[in-house]
Amino acid sequence: MANPKKALEGVRILELGPYVALPMTGRILASMGAEVIKVETNKVLDEMNFIPAWSRGGGQPEFQRAKKRITIDVRTPDGLEVFKELVKVSDVFMTNFRRNILDRWGIDFPELRRLRPDIILMWQTGLGGIGPYYTYKSYGILVQHMGGVSLMSGEEGEPPATINTSYSDYHTGVFQPVAVIGALMRLRLTGRPATMESSIFKSGALTAGPAILDYQSTGRTPQRMGNRDPFAAPHGVYRCQGDDRWCAIAVQTDEHWAAFCRAIGSPEWCSEDSFSSLESRLADQERLDGLVGEWTAGQTAEDVMTRLQEAGVPASLVSQGKDLYESAHLKAREFYRPTRFYLADRAKPAWEWQGEEGIA
Amino acid sequence: MPFEAPADGVLLPPYRVLDLAGPEGVFCGKLLADYGADVIKVEPPAGDPTRQRPPFIGDQPGPERSAYFLFYNTNKRSVTLDLESSQGQGLFKKLAASADVLIESFPVGYMKSLGLDFDTLKTGNPGLVMCSVTPFGQTGPWKDFQSTDLISLAASGFMQITGDPDGPPLRQGNEQSHFPGAQHAAAAIMGALFYRDMQGGPGQYIDVSMQEAMITYYTDAHPALAWMQRGENVTRVGTNSTLVIPLGAYPSKDGWISAGIITPREWENLSQWMYEVTGNEDILNDAYKGGNQDRAPYNDIITALVIDFTTRFTSEELFHQGQERNLVFIPVNTVPDLLSDPQLEASNFWFDLDHADAGTLKYPLGVFDSEEVSPGTKPAPHLGQDNDAIFGGELGLSETELASLHAQGTI
Repeated sequence: MANPKKALEGVRILELGPYVALPMTGRILASMGAEVIKVETNKVLDEMNFIPAWSRGGGQPEFQRAKKRITIDVRTPDGLEVFKELVKVSDVFMTNFRRNILDRWGIDFPELRRLRPDIILMWQTGLGGIGPYYTYKSYGILVQHMGGVSLMSGEEGEPPATINTSYSDYHTGVFQPVAVIGALMRLRLTGRPATMESSIFKSGALTAGPAILDYQSTGRTPQRMGNRDPFAAPHGVYRCQGDDRWCAIAVQTDEHWAAFCRAIGSPEWCSEDSFSSLESRLADQERLDGLVGEWTAGQTAEDVMTRLQEAGVPASLVSQGKDLYESAHLKAREFYRPTRFYLADRAKPAWEWQGEEGIA
Repeated sequence: MPFEAPADGVLLPPYRVLDLAGPEGVFCGKLLADYGADVIKVEPPAGDPTRQRPPFIGDQPGPERSAYFLFYNTNKRSVTLDLESSQGQGLFKKLAASADVLIESFPVGYMKSLGLDFDTLKTGNPGLVMCSVTPFGQTGPWKDFQSTDLISLAASGFMQITGDPDGPPLRQGNEQSHFPGAQHAAAAIMGALFYRDMQGGPGQYIDVSMQEAMITYYTDAHPALAWMQRGENVTRVGTNSTLVIPLGAYPSKDGWISAGIITPREWENLSQWMYEVTGNEDILNDAYKGGNQDRAPYNDIITALVIDFTTRFTSEELFHQGQERNLVFIPVNTVPDLLSDPQLEASNFWFDLDHADAGTLKYPLGVFDSEEVSPGTKPAPHLGQDNDAIFGGELGLSETELASLHAQGTI
């Protein structure tokens, strides 16, 4: 008695906008069965098709998966008319362009609502659609530093550590489906549509978390502490055999510590008084880290992880792309599935683009 | 559970959500609660362990004063229940029979050992949507592996791409591993509820792996695909890019400022401004002109010149004056910067919540603005504050029964 429908079957969503967060939202909604139509123009394609370091187009199989993809140049009068016809038959319109750009193109939210009175509007911005910065130009990879978490990442006394992706884009991208599905539900139950405006800045700032309350109460601001942790020692990454290979180890409880010592063959230093409690291990971390590092250095990261996990100690190799692609665990869970994607080519119409097999 | 429409100004219907999740999934319940779901935190009688987590408001320890607990449990209700006792399990089944959603993050198999797994609970409630958020998911060879925030950041590859290329992989701050799984869980739960209530489908079980959720958080770099197609391991690039010059974080007069020069026009604007300020003609060198990668051979010289420039301004000055020159300078904000930011102030981000023990504090609620719907504004619940209303009022237990359960330590 399988139910033939998918969760969002019958919902049509118009997606206008490049990069990461908005296409991610579309991808999630599409995989739940919504008909997601990605609108591009042949002249202004999503830059994510062309990022040179990822010549196949970073994440394109992921971002294209399960979507319909059409090209309309909304900057031409004919293109704009076609776009408006699409709005009339869509349940949701999502975009991530700034208001001044949408204005220039003649895309105006109140008018879209006149064309389709019950349309759900999801407007994603970088810094905010209203307020003093609404016209500000921004790049997602920089906006993530506004959220407060960059200054909590990195070694003590060193510059803030940055992550080689724009994580706050994903916070926005993965949250927006909650807002869109909620608004669709609310529309069906109350007859009232909603216009919602999100920002990458706010998504990042929300994850500054409890430190926001702590600052108001005590005036403290969070300090960078590298890979260390106030509630665990040893706690960090330790170099293993091979090029740039590391294993992370987190010893939180007394049970973890006893199991850790047994797993590494109970060397003499394990029974030193100065390592007998969490407090004492925290106080002598520099030396402890050195000793743990000596033990890991002669082994592969996989072996260190396996030996510690078998003993019940939290440990993991620091996964590289190869590890993730070949992971027996992820394969057993069918995490990656083959998917066809298209290599964008500015010189050719989209229907002549070359399809390739990728994974998503 | 009769299906109700959301109240005026509220996004979600008052779905009944039982929240058993620890730090791995606590943000999921918060998102649903902030947007209108009736989220009930089911705590052990001694209280959720995170109530004991420092820091405490005013540095005074107490179960109602943990900043962590207060932050992640806004708009939730609280009941206490010992799930390891048979009476507690019986009462939980009654609660689950009236629930739309159950969220949990226990080790794989723990709910089954209590007789509270999905197959058992759905017999009393075929519409139940149950979601587990665990480090490696419910299946596969790693399912029972021990994890922590650090271990999840390592296993997902997040650490491989955080930090300096010459240094070790680094942890991203503030337990970032606890967000991706919880947010994916919230999206999946919404999809499952839509399926049930709008498409006539049954309830379902959702298995969220934090590792998998985190991998989706850098699909722009898609490390597995980069390996599959080009044999390359995506890695750390450090605070400042070696490809796009300049791009990264630089010291300012009062902190850090991030900057990125992407187009040749932006470089023209920046180099002219740097010359006006520093008087150093070297910056106008023709060799430095062009697209962002043309400056790669001069990275060290240019970075030194950029720092000589940025340290003459406050971060705020660079942020606003940069925009006047069509340049993107973005402040690397501290927590106090966030609290005084005029954009966040203007965009309905902060809410004053008054909590009997913690006092009135500003909380960020919600990640979108809307004239039609807004988040709820209730502070985190006191331990067991809704026991009487839910066990007594809704499940119909008498005062004597409640007193007896309390005396036995079941609630």
